[in-house]
Parts: sequence; C-alpha cells; structure tokens
Amino acid sequence: MRKQMVRLVGALVAATLVLAACGGESSSTTQPSGGNTTEAPAELPYIALISKGFQHQFWQAVKLGAEQAAEELGAEVTFEGPESEGDVDQQMQLLQTALDKNPDAVGFAAVDSQAAGPLMEQAESKGIPVIAFDSGVDSDVPVTTATTDNLAASAEAAKNMAELIGHSGKIALVVHDQTSVTGVERRDGFVEYMEANEPDIEIIDIQYGGDPRVATDIAKAILTANPDLVGIYGSNEGAAIGVVQAVTELGLEDAAKSGELVVIGFDSGKAQMDAIRSGLMAGAITQNPVGIGYETVKAALAVINGDSVPKVIDTGFYWYNADNIDDPEIQAVLYE
Amino acid sequence: MNASQDLLSQGVRGLEPTKTSRMRSQLQQLLALATLVVMVVAFSVASPFFFTSDNLIGILTAATVTGILALGTTFVIVSGGIDLSLGTGMILCGVMSGVFLTYWGWPTWLGVIGVILFGALLGTINGFNTAVLRIPPFIATLGMMLIAQGLSLVVSGTKPIYFPNHPDFQDLMNLSIIPGQRFPLGVGIYVALIAIAIVVLSRTLVGRYAFSMGSNEEATELSGLNVRRWKVIIYSIQGLFVGLAGVLAASRLSSAQPTGGLGLELDAIAAVVIGGTSLQGGRGSMVGTVIGTLIVAVLTNGLRIIAVPQEWQSVVIGCVILVAVYLDMLRRRKT
Amino acid sequence: MTVSGISVAFPGVQALDDVSFELRRGEVHAIVGENGAGKSTLMKVLAGIHPPDSGILTLDGEEVQITSPRHAHDLGISTIHQEFNLMPDLTIAQNIFIGRERRISGIFIDDRSQEERTRSLFDRLGLALDPGERVENLTVARQQMVEIAKALSFNARVLIMDEPTAALNEAEVETLLGLIRRFRTPDTAVIYITHRMHELTRISDRVTVLRDGRNVTTLETASTTVPEVIPLMVGRAIQGEQRPAGGHDHGDIVLSVRGLSTRRLLDDINFDLRRGEILGFAGLMGAGRTELGRALVGADHITSGSIWLHGQPVSVPNPAVAAGLGIGYLSEDRKRFGVVLEQSVSANIILNTLSDYVGPMGLMKDDAIERKVKASVETLQIRTPSTRQRVKNLSGGNQQKVVIAKWLAKNCDVLVFDEPTRGIDVGAKEEIYRLLNELAARGKSIIMISSELPEVLRMSHRVAVMCEGRLTVVLDNADATQEIIMDHATRFSAAGTVKL
Repeated sequence: MRKQMVRLVGALVAATLVLAACGGESSSTTQPSGGNTTEAPAELPYIALISKGFQHQFWQAVKLGAEQAAEELGAEVTFEGPESEGDVDQQMQLLQTALDKNPDAVGFAAVDSQAAGPLMEQAESKGIPVIAFDSGVDSDVPVTTATTDNLAASAEAAKNMAELIGHSGKIALVVHDQTSVTGVERRDGFVEYMEANEPDIEIIDIQYGGDPRVATDIAKAILTANPDLVGIYGSNEGAAIGVVQAVTELGLEDAAKSGELVVIGFDSGKAQMDAIRSGLMAGAITQNPVGIGYETVKAALAVINGDSVPKVIDTGFYWYNADNIDDPEIQAVLYE
Repeated sequence: MNASQDLLSQGVRGLEPTKTSRMRSQLQQLLALATLVVMVVAFSVASPFFFTSDNLIGILTAATVTGILALGTTFVIVSGGIDLSLGTGMILCGVMSGVFLTYWGWPTWLGVIGVILFGALLGTINGFNTAVLRIPPFIATLGMMLIAQGLSLVVSGTKPIYFPNHPDFQDLMNLSIIPGQRFPLGVGIYVALIAIAIVVLSRTLVGRYAFSMGSNEEATELSGLNVRRWKVIIYSIQGLFVGLAGVLAASRLSSAQPTGGLGLELDAIAAVVIGGTSLQGGRGSMVGTVIGTLIVAVLTNGLRIIAVPQEWQSVVIGCVILVAVYLDMLRRRKT
Repeated sequence: MTVSGISVAFPGVQALDDVSFELRRGEVHAIVGENGAGKSTLMKVLAGIHPPDSGILTLDGEEVQITSPRHAHDLGISTIHQEFNLMPDLTIAQNIFIGRERRISGIFIDDRSQEERTRSLFDRLGLALDPGERVENLTVARQQMVEIAKALSFNARVLIMDEPTAALNEAEVETLLGLIRRFRTPDTAVIYITHRMHELTRISDRVTVLRDGRNVTTLETASTTVPEVIPLMVGRAIQGEQRPAGGHDHGDIVLSVRGLSTRRLLDDINFDLRRGEILGFAGLMGAGRTELGRALVGADHITSGSIWLHGQPVSVPNPAVAAGLGIGYLSEDRKRFGVVLEQSVSANIILNTLSDYVGPMGLMKDDAIERKVKASVETLQIRTPSTRQRVKNLSGGNQQKVVIAKWLAKNCDVLVFDEPTRGIDVGAKEEIYRLLNELAARGKSIIMISSELPEVLRMSHRVAVMCEGRLTVVLDNADATQEIIMDHATRFSAAGTVKL
C-alpha cells in the first residue's frame, strides 16, 4: 500500500512538473524562414517579449506584429504573458525567467509600473536593453516605449462621444483597471478632455472591471441607477463587451441604435465589431496592436545594433465606426 | 424495576430542550433572512432605482452563475470537504461548450448535456483524488484548479469561442420567459435548481450522508457506510452544478471566454459560509446558501447603484463576511 | 461463535497472543482484564475494524473473515464502542437509522417515520429521549444510551459491548442490565467488556480473563467470586472495600462557594472545602456536578453567587485565570478536554507550565522540561515506552495520569476531578486512588465528582449530593451509605414534584 502511494505521488509530481512547463505560461517562439530548410539558422539575436496578458485578442495581434518583424528583420522572438491580465506576480516571474535566459533584448508591457522596478534594474546591470510597449514602465531603464498615446486616444474617444451626444448630458465610464498605465491614461485622457472642453457634459460615475462578466453587471447597475444617462464608454475590449451586453440585457438596444444612448468602446475583437456593425455601438478607438509588436522588435534590433531610437514610438490609433470599418487601412489594424 | 425506570426518566430533562433548539435554528435562518431584508430596504431608501423590477432581476441575473456554484459546493462543504477548482472548472466547462457546439458541431441540447456531464467528470476526478488517493481536498482541488485553468487556454487556443451556428444557445441564459417582462431563462433555471438542491440535501441519502461525514467521518465509516464512494458521489454532484454554471456563463455572453474565473470559487464559498454553513462540515442548509448568495449579490449591486467607490465595495463585503460568520458562531455557542 | 488462535501485533507490542474462546448461543459472556490486556483489540477484530494477523473465527460453525465494519454488521455482529460513533450534528433518529434510512418511494428520506420508530424503540427500552434532538445537545450519559439503543435495534446475533456502563451511575446501570436481560434471546449472544467487577455477577454467564494479550482462563460466573477474578487479571492481590483513613482534622477552609447559580442549571450552591480533604460529589446524571466543576474554573458563566479562595473573594472568568489562582479541572471527557491526543506525553505534561521553561532567548529549555517530565512519569508510574509517545497510543488509565501530571506540575491547591477513574481498569484505579490520597495528605484540596458510589464512599472524607442543580446535603463519610446518598440524589424529580 505504501509503495503504491509513493509511486502515485511520484507520478503526480512528475505530471505537475510537465504541466507547469506547458501550461504555466503561454509562449511561442518564431524563427525567420527564408533560405533552405535544411540549413541550420544562423545565430540570431534573441528578444524576449513579456506582455500584460492573453485575455484579449489584442495581445495576439501584438504577437503577430512581433513575429512579422522577426521574420522580416531577422530575430528570434518569444512572446509570453500571464493568463489573467493584471496578475502582477505572474508577470514578474515570467520577466525574471526571461532575464535569466540572457536575451539580447527584452520587450515589456508592465501590469504594474512600480512593481517592475527591481527587475528593470537587474536588466540594466546585466546590460540587457529594455523596450517598453503598450503600457509604459515608470522607470528610466527602458530605452524607448512603443505605444499608443493612450491619453490622446481616449481624448479622441471623448471628442467623438461629445459630438454624438450633442455636447451635453450625463455619461459614465467603465474602465478596465486602476493600476496599469493604460487604465489610468484611458480614463484620464477621456475625463480631462471633457473637463477642458465640455462644460455641459457631466461624468456621473466611473467604475472598474475588465472581465466581461463583471463589466456587464457593473454597466447594468450604472444604467439602472441613471436612466437619464446618454453615453457610456468602455476603456478596453473586456469592458466594452460588458457594456454592450448590459445594453442588450436591459433591452436598451433601440435606444443605443437610435443614438439616445451612445456606446463607445476601445480596441476591437469580434464582439465589438459586431456591435458596431449592428449599430449598438456608435464607434470605438482601435490601437495598432500589430504595429506595436512590429515596432517593438524593430526598435530592439536597432538598439542591439547600436543605433539610436526615439524615446517614444507612437504606433497610432484610429477612430472607427460603421462607416469606415470596412476600409482597408482600418481592417489592417482590427482583429477578431 | 419500576423504581429504576422512574429514576431514569427523572434523571432526564423533559421534552423542552428539543423544542427550543429546533426553534432556535429556525430563528437563526430568520436572522439571515432579516439581514437580507434590512439591506434591501436600506438600499431602496438610498436610491429610487434599486427596488425596480429591472434592477431586482438584474441582481438575480448577476447572482445566477455564482449562485449555482454555491448550491453545488454546499454539498461538498457540508461533507467536510472543500473545492477550490470551482471557478476555473466552470471556465473550462464553458470552453467545452464551445468545443462541443462549435468545433464538433453538436446540436445545442446534446452539447449542453455533454458539458454538464463533463463538469461531473471533473468533480469525479476531484472526488477520486480526495477520497481514494487521500490527497487533502485543499491540495487536490488546488491542483485541479490550475489544470483547468491551463486546459482552458490550451483547448481554446487562448481565444474566445463563439457560437455562430447555434443562435439558440444564448437563449439558455437570456431568453425571457415571462411575456412582457424581461425575466431571463437563466434565472428561472437557477430557481428550479434551488428547489432541487434543497430537496436533495435534506431528503435524500446523498445529503444525509454528506451531513453525516461532515459531522463525524469516522463514526460514519464505522456505521458501515462506504465513505469513499459517497465522497466521490458528492464531488461529482457538485461537478454537475459546475458544468451547468459554465453553460450559462458562456450562454450569457454567447461566447466561451477562456480566462478569468479565478476567485469565483471564493465568492461561492463566501456565500455558503455567510448562509450559515460551517466550513468544518456537518451543519448547513441550502436555504442558507441562497440567502448568503443573495446577500452578497444585493450588497454588490446596491453599492454600485449608490456609486460607492469600488475599492470600498470589497472592504464592505469582507466585513459582512466576518460579521456574518461571527454572529453564526455566537448563535452556536448559545445552543 | 468461536475464536481460535487470534493474534494481532502492533509496532512494539503484541496486543493479542493466540487468544481463543468460545461464545455460546444465548449467553452473556464477560471479558475482563487490565488496560493493555487486549480487550479493545479483540473487540476491534470481531467488529471488523482490524484484521487479525493470524487465527480463525467461526460463526455458527462456518469460518468467516470479517473484512469491514459493514461486513460485521451484515454477519450480525453489532458493536457498541467506548468512543461513541455518533454524528453530533444529526438527530438521534437520524443517527440510529444511518445506513438503513427509511425512504418514501425509494428516494426521499422519511424522517418522520424514522422518528416514530425510534420513539417506539425507546418506549420499549424505557428511555425518555426525544428522537428529534440533535446528538450534540445530549450529555455524555445520554449519548451512551443512544449508542446502546442503536446497537440493540439491529437484532444482532452477537452483540459486543465495550464498557457500556462507563458513563452511567447506579440507577442507569441497573436499567441497562435490565435491558440486556430483557432482550436476551436464545439466539443472541452478548460479549460484555467491563471494568466494573460487581457487574459481572449481575449479568454474565461466563467470564474470560485476559492478561497481557493472552486468555488466562474462562470461568463460570455462578461458581466464581470477584475476589477470585481480580488476581487473575492483575497477577496480584487487591484490597477490598475500604473507607478513607479518616479521622485526622482537616485544615482551614480553602475554598468557599456561596449562592452559586448558573443560567442553565445550578441553583444556589453553598459549600466549603478544607485543606487536605477529599470532597466527593454524588448524584444522578444531569444533576449538575460537571456544571459545578466547570463553573468553578470559569469554563461556564456564573450568573450569581461568589467564590472565595483562601478567604478572599475571587472572580474566575475563564480557566486561564482559574489555573493562575491554583484551581485545576480534570474533565470527565479526557479525550476531548483533557489531553492533546496527537501530542507527546512530554508536551501534554508540560502544557500549562511551559512558560516557566522558556529561556532568555525565548527558546524552550528542553533539558529542564525533560527532567520534569521524567520525574512526573516516575512518580505517577505512567506506563509509556517513551516520553515522546503520542498520548493517543496510551491506555485510558495512563492518559488520565498524564492529565493529573499536567495539573500537578502547575502546583494547584484545589483540584476538581470529574470522573477520575472512568474507563480505567482495576489496577490503574488503585494507583489513582493512591495518588489522590497522597495529594490530600500533602495538603491539596480535592473535589471528586463520581458516579460510582463505592468509589465515592471509599475516597471521600465528606460526601456532597446534588439533585437537579441543587446541593441537597453534605454528609460526613461515616454517616453515608449508598441508600442514603441515592435518597438525597432523588429528592426532586424533573416534573417538579417532590418524591415522597
């Protein structure tokens, strides 16, 4: 009986280790093709990218852009992120592991700017250049940041919201989180625009939830408590999905489609795109996630080669709605 | 002979203590209900939008998925166990609904049954690990929690799975079953499950043995029961609830999201505990669990309606849990 | 049924060594022996809890191997254990019917029918308990009754009873024995394990004596007397009925209680306790003796009244304060409230004086602790292979000694012993009596709560009798007899009428 126990425990431990190796992180490696397949690839610079998460297709698009750049420009790239977006601890562990592999450069989108400090120092002391992407890092270590200008992007969202609601009325925000730079900037950019330019528009509530289920319930509560609400803004894919779902569950589709209630989102993804096509969502801001990935790897290679790079690389954003959603340049930056 | 019989009867206090102890446990449930009522009244006073049919239905809708998990896990907790894999298990089941319906093209009814059975399978594995391999439930279900989390991502390819070919799938949660009013089918299903769960826990062998094992597992075994078998059954039953919760969660958004869920098990367990079920097992009730679920749901919704900053919401809910459990302990001491 | 050549070995000890005996249909067969003699192990083998290493069991001439408790049940072997196998959160009826629930249409449990049947079972047995009451609300003695009723309800072929009267006093013992006599059928055999010698003659047909894991002999009860049996168990002679070596003047009053009442039961208790005296507390179950003990040490809340220690009024809100004042309490349920089963003998003995053994760095002084523990083990003659042995592996008697050692280490002046020899065999009992007398001689004041009247008469210098929460009388030992005590213990009845 005891021997059986020992064997079982041993098997379980082994299984756990195997699973930990496979399931603990989501990662992938790309190598450039080109040349004969029989030829062994030459020694390529290795760039490790640690993103904020895998929750939204946004990150998959970033990964796509990174892989494109790796293929075109010649690099070996890995892309990892914590399964729950916002899991600071897990991201720190991934970053530590990546640094231990002594890559030629690291790409990093911080969940928590402050928490990453010590690991930033470590990278610096090891001589590994850091390229920040998406959220910045509150540190002097990164050589450059490839990102959307979230402040400007959310200000653009605010501008469109203001136009659509006729420059007056009550609105609310569902922001995806309070700790990351993107969360803070997409809220502040929006709020500051309104405060500076729209005296007749009142923001009556800001609540936080990035998980679509939670965002749905939050948005429902806000809409129920404020029947005179004319506009509502979701600051990322998860929040926006939740807002759209809330509108549907409360039976406010007609109000949304007619423009009585203006729903504005951020990023893309199938749910948001369907909502825009059906008229439930008036429009959204999309980033250029593919561009972010691409520019990050490009900048990393530049730094490795000793070239200088600008402090911030603006990867751009676009406002899209039912009118221009099928335009090729918009389609290029959208993802399912 | 008669004298000694008299002595025995004299030595035993009459029937009074029984009546009062029965009354007392009913009183305690009324207390929890009273708390709920007080909260509802308070929020209704604080905001005119609280006590509207839309909002009340919204509360029930928000409570449905967690509530179903709480119903299922009441069985496990009453039997003295615990299951941390509720949240990620549910997510995995949601993903499996995507697999069955979208990837494999099954008809809706078959896919739903398949997911529920899949949930039961997860439960059976947990039960087996706990009862037969004797891994402590905390650890066994922790392992399952991580496995489920990983499998969700692996199976779905880290993408949400949609249901383009099954337009009726989202009806499961969302279809309105009262003409003229927006009363989602999902809530109706939850209510039906409550009734079933109450009956199963209090009036069937499964429920009785759950209480028995939670109260004194050794005595139960010595009384001739196959404790291992019943533990596996109990975890499997919980798994059925997890599967159904996964179906409804995916149905609501008409997409199976492969991430999240971490933390839902704590919400479900908190609801059970607030409702008066002891984590040590042996004591508890489904009605209590439902009241606990509603207390948390009403609290969350009410705080949002009156626009209390989100940070404070967590603080309030945490305090409520502490107070509820403390009051429950006080009541026990008096008995 | 026959038992042949059963042997069971545990690490370090041969619990049963080639034990054989015969159980005849329809007889009550008593099994006696000191603790550690192997009675519990034998019982566990028969109940299907522990398989024998070797040996054969036959039932009605057919060889059987009992694989599990369920299997034992199915074979018709019903066991009443010393530790109650009851589920505290379930009701009496639910406990009795566990595993064989009555159902409506096969699925739903019919609690009402179960309660009715339980009630009729209790009527036949003469028990006045409400089947709907939760077991955890019952006192120890009443739980014992439920256990017995449950076993009797199985209509077993072999009924094994392990110390069934341990928690009962005289009146209940008589009732139980009456039950057994009434329910004996020619087809049922009863194996009756006990420490109470005087029960042997009242109920058993034959007696088997075990010592050190071996069957010493089997005797016909009719042709044997208790004084003959005891030496066989113990291997040495034991003194007979005794009264305390009394007569010496006891010292000044150490403890005074005036007007003590608690919410649930106690009503206006008044008594004094002198230095060096043993004050015995007798009474029926439910009379309030344990409650009094608990109230004295602050384990239960006092609603009115006062306690005076060494002439000073004191307030005892909790047991920690009581221990600080020098009042110690040894609970009747030593497994739950006396010892920490999973811990070692050492840890248990030093438990409430640990703070005295902490060095300057906050670390424990292991050497000093070991010395103290070894000295205690010596003095009390605690039989244990080592001080690191887990207390749960010791016999009941030795566990009790560990509890006593713990309180002695604390240097208490007043010690409240609640059923000090419950579940302990004759040999160990003598040792405990010796200890109690020594403590009294050394100037400690002892309150001894006991349900065994011979024990009360033997040990107490004075006897206090309680009934229904009130103290009916305090007698000098010379004035007390079993009848007089019983009379005072039944002054009041539950219904409030006074007995004529």
